[in-house]
Amino acid sequence: MTRSTLLAAALLALGTGTAFAHVTLEVQQAPVPSTYKAVFRAGHGCEGKPTIKVRVQIPEGVISVKPQPKPGWTIEKVRGKYASTYDYYGTPTSEGVKEIIWSGGNLPDDEYDEFVLRAYLTKDLKPGTTLYFPVVQECPDGAAERWIEIPAEGKSADDYEYPAPGLKLVPKN
Amino acid sequence: MTDLLPMLRRLFPALVLLLLVAAGLTAASTPVRAHASLTGAVPADGSMVPSPPTAFALTFSEPTSPLLLRLITPDGKSLPLDRFTLRDRTLDIVAPDALGSGTYVLSWRVVSEDGHPVGGSVVFSIGAASGAAPLVADAAEPGLQAAIWTNRLLLYGGLFVGIGGAFFLAWLGAPTRDGATVISVALAIGTGAALLSIGLQGLDALGAPLGALGQPIVWQTGFATSLGKSVLASLLAIALAGASLALPALPARVLTVLALIGLGSALAASGHAGTAPPQWLTRPSVFLHAVGIALWGGALAPLGLQIARRSPNAAATLRRFSRFIPFAVLPLVASGLLLAMIQLENLRALWSSAYGQVLSAKLVLVALLFALAAYNRLRLTEPARQGEARATRRLLGSIRLEIVLVLVIFGLAALWRFTPPPRALALAAAQPAPIHIHALKAMADITVTPGRVGAVNVDMMLMTGEFGPLDAKEVTLVLANPARGIEPIRRKAERRDGLWRIDGLVMPAPGEWTVRLDILITDFEMTRLEGALPIRP
Repeated sequence: MTRSTLLAAALLALGTGTAFAHVTLEVQQAPVPSTYKAVFRAGHGCEGKPTIKVRVQIPEGVISVKPQPKPGWTIEKVRGKYASTYDYYGTPTSEGVKEIIWSGGNLPDDEYDEFVLRAYLTKDLKPGTTLYFPVVQECPDGAAERWIEIPAEGKSADDYEYPAPGLKLVPKN
Repeated sequence: MTDLLPMLRRLFPALVLLLLVAAGLTAASTPVRAHASLTGAVPADGSMVPSPPTAFALTFSEPTSPLLLRLITPDGKSLPLDRFTLRDRTLDIVAPDALGSGTYVLSWRVVSEDGHPVGGSVVFSIGAASGAAPLVADAAEPGLQAAIWTNRLLLYGGLFVGIGGAFFLAWLGAPTRDGATVISVALAIGTGAALLSIGLQGLDALGAPLGALGQPIVWQTGFATSLGKSVLASLLAIALAGASLALPALPARVLTVLALIGLGSALAASGHAGTAPPQWLTRPSVFLHAVGIALWGGALAPLGLQIARRSPNAAATLRRFSRFIPFAVLPLVASGLLLAMIQLENLRALWSSAYGQVLSAKLVLVALLFALAAYNRLRLTEPARQGEARATRRLLGSIRLEIVLVLVIFGLAALWRFTPPPRALALAAAQPAPIHIHALKAMADITVTPGRVGAVNVDMMLMTGEFGPLDAKEVTLVLANPARGIEPIRRKAERRDGLWRIDGLVMPAPGEWTVRLDILITDFEMTRLEGALPIRP
């Protein structure tokens, strides 16, 4: 047993779960409160068509959202009022980005890409629950894939055809 | 004990490796979320092909392997499709030999590389969409059927003998009062039968057993049908006829004419015949038919009694009756023929349908009745009027026989309650299957027309859970029949005239289908409604 085999095994263990066809989050667990880097992974387009727009809805309790610039894509930040006021390191925050739209790009069905944003998970979010980021993937001719299904109580994302990417919230150590 | 520690130390890397692999497997198996979706099918979903295909093809968004492939044939059989080859993302399937025409369902269940099984169905027709088997009318419980039939017979007898009799007494029999008792009894029977018919109608409409007759809902339901108006008109006519019995000649004549009009309207207002299109023709026909029956059928008892009791007035009454009766019989026959033609739609139905068989039997009896009437009129009336005893006896016998025949004919006509005419059967086949699904966020009225196997149209009206307007972006109907092994059939609805519609869907099999409605409310919000849809064969 050498160090390199150990490394290979570790890579095997951690490296699985990348080849998803759904839009999913790269890191699926985060403590609250914390700053979280969300990497949305788009495995394919809409029934064979390329993706030309990606829209991510920011759930309540997630503030200070900053998308990472992406060459070839225009970013639009849709701002609005939150349902309640959240505490951001002592600053009461009642409005901010509620939707991020990446458009103008072209991601063919047989290519892979990632869409990144950074956000603050406020302490109002409950550890032990799952936070969902509904995503709409738009393609030419009005085609769309909507990863917007939020599991009802007692069901899991596996019970749905188009589950929204989920983030498991855990208590801060 | 001393050897253990070094041994563990030696094994440590292997233990770590095992743990990591286990973790890796867990990680690989938990987020199994990606599914393949069908991107194309040959034959295409919802398509019609002129001749049986020799192969099917399903193309998915990613490579898959099939778990279960089945072809559901038009007669409901499920054929396993086990000859297939995988070619990249396409699944080529060898079609079974000798597929006949009709609607087929290619039900597929596959697993994509992530391990999540997904299913769906492709519906296609060869030559023509499956039609439907012949329809049978809903059968009520036998006890209820017998009660309804007896009630009908008593209602007809009471109404025709009572009201027709009252008319006869006022116009033709006067001043003799023979038959007044029979007429009163008939009117009383008619009243009871008319009232009871509401309850029986309610039971039939609700599909409830006879024992439920005491429940108010049954009577409310019965009264709410078209029979309610009929019963009201019948009761009014009975009251008028009853009053005429106690009144002097002139007002009695006026009342009996009104009573006849009431009777004709009562029968024209409900039933298969009065409600058949074109109503401008069928309603007056039923009216004339009913009035004619009352005039003829109602006259027999008081006329016979006058003759039997050797009333001094009998000769004059008999003459008036024979002069008058053609005016009742001619419209009776003409309207009867017209109604039969409308209801039968074609001559073959005279013996091929239950309705036609009852009509045939009735026509035979009516012919017999006419033969008797003609014999009375041509051979017996004149000698009887002259007072010839043998002719009078024969005339009496013949009138008795006529009364029996008339009652049997009423009994036959009462059978029609259970034998919808071919026209009504065709209409019943076209009846839609409506369902209503109500959930917290949304509700839907879904109508599948006709609600049976074959080509159907679907209309959906959406509302919010609080009955407000629901402005949906997209609506998808998902139908499945797990009992028949039919995986979900998906159809996107189109918005037209405020409704969401799907045209040209073919329901491949009867039975209980599960219905799911995916309603996209905003870009990010979807709500689902689930229910069950019964499809008739």
